[in-house]
Amino acid sequence: MNQKLKLSDIHPGDSLPSVVKHITQEEINLYAEASGDFNPIHIDETFAAQTPLGGTIAHGMLILAYMSEMMTKAFGESWLSGGKLSVRFKAPAHPKDTITTSGKIDSVEHKEGAPYVNCSLESCNQKGETVITGGAVVKLQPIP
Amino acid sequence: MSPISFEELAVGYEFPATSYELSQSLIAQYLEAVGGQQYFLTSGVVPPLAIAAYAMTALSQSFSVPPGSIHASQEFEFLKLVPIGSTVSCGGKIVQKVQRGRLHLLVLEINALNQDKEKVLSGKATVAIPT
Repeated sequence: MNQKLKLSDIHPGDSLPSVVKHITQEEINLYAEASGDFNPIHIDETFAAQTPLGGTIAHGMLILAYMSEMMTKAFGESWLSGGKLSVRFKAPAHPKDTITTSGKIDSVEHKEGAPYVNCSLESCNQKGETVITGGAVVKLQPIP
Repeated sequence: MSPISFEELAVGYEFPATSYELSQSLIAQYLEAVGGQQYFLTSGVVPPLAIAAYAMTALSQSFSVPPGSIHASQEFEFLKLVPIGSTVSCGGKIVQKVQRGRLHLLVLEINALNQDKEKVLSGKATVAIPT
């Protein structure tokens, strides 16, 4: 998996390729099966309806997977073995939500001879509410 | 071993190390669940969030928290590529446990190592637990 962006292509303010996903209960159930996380807040609609969240919610790690998909599309192997992610979960993602994950490049720093790209990231629902916000740092690997 | 209860978890508690195989079929199932990214199967590399997800699930099996607990924040650092088919061992410990209103916040450190005992992933998760 090659790095997609070269250092010369990267400029502060540039947008990352966004990822748009529609959430369904079936996909949440699939993620529960795949990950082994069967917390009832994700899969038990009767239980979840009685909580302050009012219904089932997607696993935070599922939405984070979309964020990582965006970073992989942008930075390839540099993300997979040189990426750092730090996020806060601000609001739940419910079934029938459409989640748009986007990001932009904040700065490029050079430390110990290597370029590091600082990015701000966000996942929002169809109402524009922030579901996840945070940042990422990618140590760019040299491209042969 | 029965899971340790949330009440018994204390700062400094170290989770027992757990190993899991990131097989082709497991990764295919994970990729189907997250809606694509099939290039991981062709490249033979495990998606880093899959390593993290299975590490967190493995650790969470050693303790029990009340239903309705949710993720509040998360940090990860991806350090090395992990080929599909690898066996990864993970461990972690409780670094903070505080009460905020009607919630408890539990902060866990997580590490995953490859077969050569090299660290491939580290992270920190904050879980909000209803009282």
